[in-house]
Amino acid sequence: MNTTADPVAPAVHRHEDRGAALILAVAFVVMIGTIGAGLAALVTSSVNNRGTLERVRDRQYAADAAIEDAIVQVRAASTGGTDACQSVAGITRTPAINAVNIRVDWRSACGVIRSGEGLVLVQRDVIFAACVDTGVACTDSSVIIRAQVNFEQAASGAVTKTYVQSWSMNQ
Amino acid sequence: MHEQKDRGDTLIEIVLTVVITAISVTALVSGLATAGTAGQAQRNSVSTDTVMRNYAEATKAVARGCTDGAPFVVPFEAPGFTVATSPAGVRCPPPTATQQLELSVTGSTGVTQVMSIKIRTP
Repeated sequence: MNTTADPVAPAVHRHEDRGAALILAVAFVVMIGTIGAGLAALVTSSVNNRGTLERVRDRQYAADAAIEDAIVQVRAASTGGTDACQSVAGITRTPAINAVNIRVDWRSACGVIRSGEGLVLVQRDVIFAACVDTGVACTDSSVIIRAQVNFEQAASGAVTKTYVQSWSMNQ
Repeated sequence: MHEQKDRGDTLIEIVLTVVITAISVTALVSGLATAGTAGQAQRNSVSTDTVMRNYAEATKAVARGCTDGAPFVVPFEAPGFTVATSPAGVRCPPPTATQQLELSVTGSTGVTQVMSIKIRTP
């Protein structure tokens, strides 16, 4: 039996290797392309997240400003001094701030405390809910800020000071 | 004859491979550089956003202690950032009105963010 190598074999072997480098190069390009696509996705995601974060911030401070406006309006409307526990509600809209239109729904809430002399005193509290103005009332899921404010009233009924009792940022 | 042809093909392949590899590596490196630049810009932007929020909260905190017509000064400093309020030199507003302020924060890289808030006298 002849065990010596076939002199033609190397030529055949070389023939099978033809194009191997190109295939490797193509594979390399595919790999680089995948990495590049990943990088592009990363950059795009970062830019989008940044924009989202800024929009959320602008919306939150727009809601904050709208509630401040609503507090001032409710304060100006408080004249009776005897309406602390009456059911009063309203809507305020203010010009867009930070390019966001906000609607504030508010309603009176009867607050009761007992004085040092044992007397039961009613307090005028108002609950404000701010959301993006879509033309419909704010819902629990759309409220951006919900705040409860106490309106301190003199005997004449005029509001002398306001106290923010709670101020919660929901989204 | 056959071997000579193979040698020629291999050389072309290698040259082609080197060219493709060079282009790919260049693209990758520039892609990495772009991602790095974008990351840095993102960090600057987020830092400016954080300073803006802190500035806004500091401004509102001062407003909570306002009395009608009192000078309105916000003692706020952020190293590496320049903050400003417009209009300048405002006073605490009367209880019957709010005062709109435009806050601006500029980072050391020149990134500026602007936002409006409203303050009122309690």
